[in-house]
This record gives sequence, C-alpha cells and structure tokens, in this order.
Amino acid sequence: MFTNFFYTLKQVGIPVSPTSFLRLQKALNMGLITSVDDFYTAARTILVKNERYFDLYDQVFAHHFKGAELKEPEEYELSEIARSMLDQWLKDPKGLARSMGIDEEKLNKMTPEELIKYFLDRLKEQTEEHHGGGKWIGTGGTSPVGHSGYHPGGMRVGGISRNKSATKVAMDRRYRDYSQDGPLTQSQMGEALKRLRNLVPVGPKDVLDIDNTIYQTMKNAGEIELVFEKSLKDRLKVILAIDNGGWSMEPYIGVLQTLFNYARAQFKDLKTFFFHNTIYEKLWEDPPRVKKPVKVTDLVRLDPETRFIIVGDASMAPYELMAKNGSIHWEEQSGEPSYKRLQFIAQTFPYSVWFNPTPVNEWPYTRTINMIREVFPMFELTIDGLEQAVNYLMRRN
Amino acid sequence: MTQESSNRMFSGASQYVLDEELAKIVNISMALEMPLLLKGEPGTGKTMLAHAIAEALHMRLIVLNVKSSMKLIEALYQYDTLTRLNDSRFGDSSRDVSNIEEYIKMGKIGQSFVTDEKVVLLIDEIDKADTDFQDDMLDVLDQMEFDIIEIDKTIQAKNRPVIIITSNAKKSLSDPFLGRCNFHHIAFPEPEMMNEIVKVHFPDIDRELLEHSLRAFYKMRDMRNIEKKPATRELINWIRALKADPDFRIKDLVKGNIPYLGVLFKKSPDYAAALNSVSRMRI
Repeated sequence: MFTNFFYTLKQVGIPVSPTSFLRLQKALNMGLITSVDDFYTAARTILVKNERYFDLYDQVFAHHFKGAELKEPEEYELSEIARSMLDQWLKDPKGLARSMGIDEEKLNKMTPEELIKYFLDRLKEQTEEHHGGGKWIGTGGTSPVGHSGYHPGGMRVGGISRNKSATKVAMDRRYRDYSQDGPLTQSQMGEALKRLRNLVPVGPKDVLDIDNTIYQTMKNAGEIELVFEKSLKDRLKVILAIDNGGWSMEPYIGVLQTLFNYARAQFKDLKTFFFHNTIYEKLWEDPPRVKKPVKVTDLVRLDPETRFIIVGDASMAPYELMAKNGSIHWEEQSGEPSYKRLQFIAQTFPYSVWFNPTPVNEWPYTRTINMIREVFPMFELTIDGLEQAVNYLMRRN
Repeated sequence: MTQESSNRMFSGASQYVLDEELAKIVNISMALEMPLLLKGEPGTGKTMLAHAIAEALHMRLIVLNVKSSMKLIEALYQYDTLTRLNDSRFGDSSRDVSNIEEYIKMGKIGQSFVTDEKVVLLIDEIDKADTDFQDDMLDVLDQMEFDIIEIDKTIQAKNRPVIIITSNAKKSLSDPFLGRCNFHHIAFPEPEMMNEIVKVHFPDIDRELLEHSLRAFYKMRDMRNIEKKPATRELINWIRALKADPDFRIKDLVKGNIPYLGVLFKKSPDYAAALNSVSRMRI
C-alpha cells in the first residue's frame, strides 16, 4: 500500500528507508491509522527524520492525496489566470459563473478590479483537484475549477492544526521555513550560523600534546601513548561586500549582516563593504555609499588569504559590467570596466565567492550572471549554498 | 506491548497542553515500540512531554541527562571498584567481596531495564554526546539488552520502556540512529496554543495581562536581528516576573515600556538589540 507515495518521497529527495516503510505498513496493519489525518501524521513521524524535509513532505502529501500542484503557482501566474478568467467572463459570463459555481448576478455587480481580486482569492483558496499541471494556465481559463477532488473527511481538533484536514494542513506548508531550499530568512539564522561555524581553519593533528601524552601513558601502565593535537592556526579574515542598491537585495541585507556579525567572534577581522549592482573603482564602508569610499586598488594591501565574499543578484544591464564608464552613477566614471575590477579582486583573493539570492534555475537567463560566474564561483543564498560555499572557501589548494 | 497497556492512550496531562498531532505521534510510537526523537527550539516543551506522558500513564520517569563527555557504559552500569577495594581492605561491610555483582550499580538505562514496572525513559539532549554514544546506544535500545562484561551477564529488559529522546540539534544525528527512531519536530506554538499553555501555568491570570503580554511577546519574537528568540520557558518566567512586581501596570506594556527584558533575552547582543527596538515598538 502507498508504494507510489513512498517512491515519490524518495524521488523528491527525502531520505526514506525501506525499513521505515515496512514499519509504516506495520502501523497500518495494527489498525493504528484510521483516517487520512492519522496517515499524514504517522507517515511523517515514521518516514521523515528531519524537519528540513517536512515542507517537501507536505508538498508530496498534498500532491499525492489531493493532486495539488507540486509547486505552488507564483503570484504572477495567478494574476495571469485571473486576467484570462476576466476575458472569459467578458465573452461568456454564464459559462464561467456556472463553472465557478457562483451567481451570475453577483458577478455582474462587480467592477473589473473587484472581479480580478475575487478571481485571485478564489484561485488562492483553490482546494479542488486540478489535472494537467501547468497546462491549464493560459488556456483561456475555460474551467479552472475541477471536480472529484478528494476530501478527506473529519475535522481535526485542537492545537496548531486549526480545524483543517490533513491535506489542508499539508497545503499550508507550515514547515517551509525549515526547508533547505529557498532563500535565507531570519528564522533559518540558527541553521545558517551552524554552517558558517565551519569557517575555521583546520590543520593536521601534528603537534604533540605533552600533558595528555603523559596522562595517557600513565593510564596505559607506562606503555608510551602519543597524543597529537592540531597546531594553532590564525583565525580567518573575512571581507563581506554587499550589493545594497536595488530593492531585489533588500530582504537579505539584514539577515546577512546579522549572520556574519554573530559569527564575528570566530573571525580575526570582518569588514563589510557596500556597492550597487557591481564593483567599480570604489567600495563603500557606509551603507548609503557616500562617506567612506575604499579604493578597490587599495585592497591589494590586505592579506591575500582573506576570504572575500560578495553578495549580490548580479543582474544588471550588460554595459554596466563591460563598458568603460558603465556605472549608472555618473560620479563613478572610472575608465575601467567593472568586469576588470572583478577579475582584479578574484586574482587578489584566491578564496572568494559570490552569493546570489536569485534561485539557481534562473541564472542561465541573465547574461551578467553568466559573465560574473566566469570570474567568481557563484552559490545560491540558501542553507545548502552556504554550506557549499563554506566548503569551497575552506578547501586546501 | 500487552493488550492492557495498549489501551492506555496518551491524551495530555495536568501541566502540559498537548496538540492533537503530537498525541497521535506519541501513541503510534508507543504502539510500534519505537523510541520517539523530539527536536525543536529550546523551551518548546520537549522535556516536559516526557514528564507529561509519565504522569498521564502513571509510569515512573527515569531521566538520563546526556553530557558531552559521557560514555554509553555510564548510562548502562557502573562497576564500583573503589567500594570493593575498600570492603576487601577493611571487611566490615555486609557485602560479599568475592561477588562482583554486588558492586555493579545500574545506570539510568540499566535501571529502566531491570525495574518490574514499565517506565518512561527520557534521554535528554542526546546531541550533546558524540556520535559513538548514539551508535552504541542503538544496539542496546534495539535489542533491549546489554552485557555486563565484569560478571559476564546479559541484562535483558523486563519491560520495554517508553523511550523519549530529545535533541536541540546542536549536532546532526547519524542516519542509522535516525532510522531507528520516530521523529517529530515541535514547532513553536501559535498564539492560541500559547494562550492555553500560559493558562495551564497561571490558572488565575488576569485576562488583560495575558492578552497584552502575549501580544508583546510575539512582537518581540518577530524582532529582527535576534539570534536566540525567547521561547515558552522565557515567556512563563517573564509573566511570573510581571505578576510578582507590584509596580507593574499593564498600561506600560501597551506604551512599549517593557520591563524585565533580561528574562526574555539571554544573550547580550540580543538584549541590546531588543532594548533598542522595544523603545520604538507600539503594541
């Protein structure tokens, strides 16, 4: 039973083991599970061993038992649909009213704006089953509301579940914050910090720990027992350069700064610089980018072992990156294209990375992202990306 | 599990507000005889759950507080060589020195195995110990038996204890370990749930105080740039402090004049940040 469900879980990348699946069968056989709600809870507690996968589990569950889309339609998609529904409404008011199960009279009274909003709300609270995945988007919205949706009966009571059925709870995606993909948020701070803690130098254990050696030798009844420990290494210096220009970066700046400030104690030195879109002649130490400029060429005086971390969406007009006077700020006309500056930084600091908050699957469509990726290794600004980047920064040549 | 005990379902206790989902998970784990691993922010009641289960099912609770340097053997049994040496030297005790078994003391896991009744075994903060500890413990909990090497004896569990394991996620747990547990992550309670929780702790609490303090509390949890957010434990202590202070007026909270921030924020950068934003906060 539920083999498909199990394999879907495996497919999306949740580490589920056959043993745990058998255990779920055992629970089913014991008659412990009497409703879909029970199944939702039981299968999760038995199969999924990390809250990071709870969100994925919710999605798979909702998809499997309800046929919800695996990925929620984006806001703009919704508004697309709503718009096409409005078109449809203008052509055939009766048909649409019937398919949505609402009174035509009621729709007649609404203004177009109200209609769009109404459609949007309907789409968002959509709970019936949909077939055909993304295809129904843009087909003119003849009948976006399907039938024969599966309704797990029974109400849930008490606590967090807020009287929703399991699939509804699953569709809520309460655990989205714990999931590993998706950009960093304030609530993932702890997890992220843990990844960052690996940003400490590790050397081989090659220094003799005399006290411990004596102790262990005594314990060993005089038989010599050598104990080695890691030789002391200096802590790292870190430079954090943040693109604080566009609104696209707005949500991440605070998170990042808090993150690195908390990790500060483990670094020997942490400098934060700001820039807009890309780096030209100067970086700024003050967020408004007015008062404290630092010449990029001066960076050469810093320790080349410094870890140089750039955060930005790397999305701009190609001329901003390639043209000699490419900056959108007139006072920054420096006579050298930003691309050259970036190459200079990458050469000065062999340990450098670029974090990008835009999702990795959108990168190929932006030309400047591709160009910058040739200079810096680029990582997604997610928990996983952070982990990979830390590994990269700590690599031994 | 015997028929009699499977009828004993867990449904909450006097000092613990249980949500439906968690109750199901506890019951399923008990029926499957699997250890239940609980994760969650500190102060969301992981440890409290074990206490509540023990109370509700009228079982004795045995707590094993895991420490970072702990070896599994300490949790199982201890061979008290010092007492034996002492006894053999002076010979004034009633113990038989030649019988090593008399000098074996059971550790917490050992105790939960040898008692005649079914008990709840709470293994608290497993993530503090190193992975060896976890891996070694697996076999013991799986087989429900361990060997005492000194006397070459195998101790078998008379009754399989209900095992609750908590983790603060300081270190990640090994896959084989996770494979043998059921897992649940206790999310931070929603305001309505928190309402209930506070009422359980302060049955006679003033409604206005409850409402305002909760609102302030959730506002403060939402504050940016906080590393360790205040949790249920902090809230309870904070309300206790507010109640104890004769000078405290509920109006102060509304005005954004929030006393005893130190109860809520335990890290100095957090405290400073909180102090800073609280003064600008309106509730």
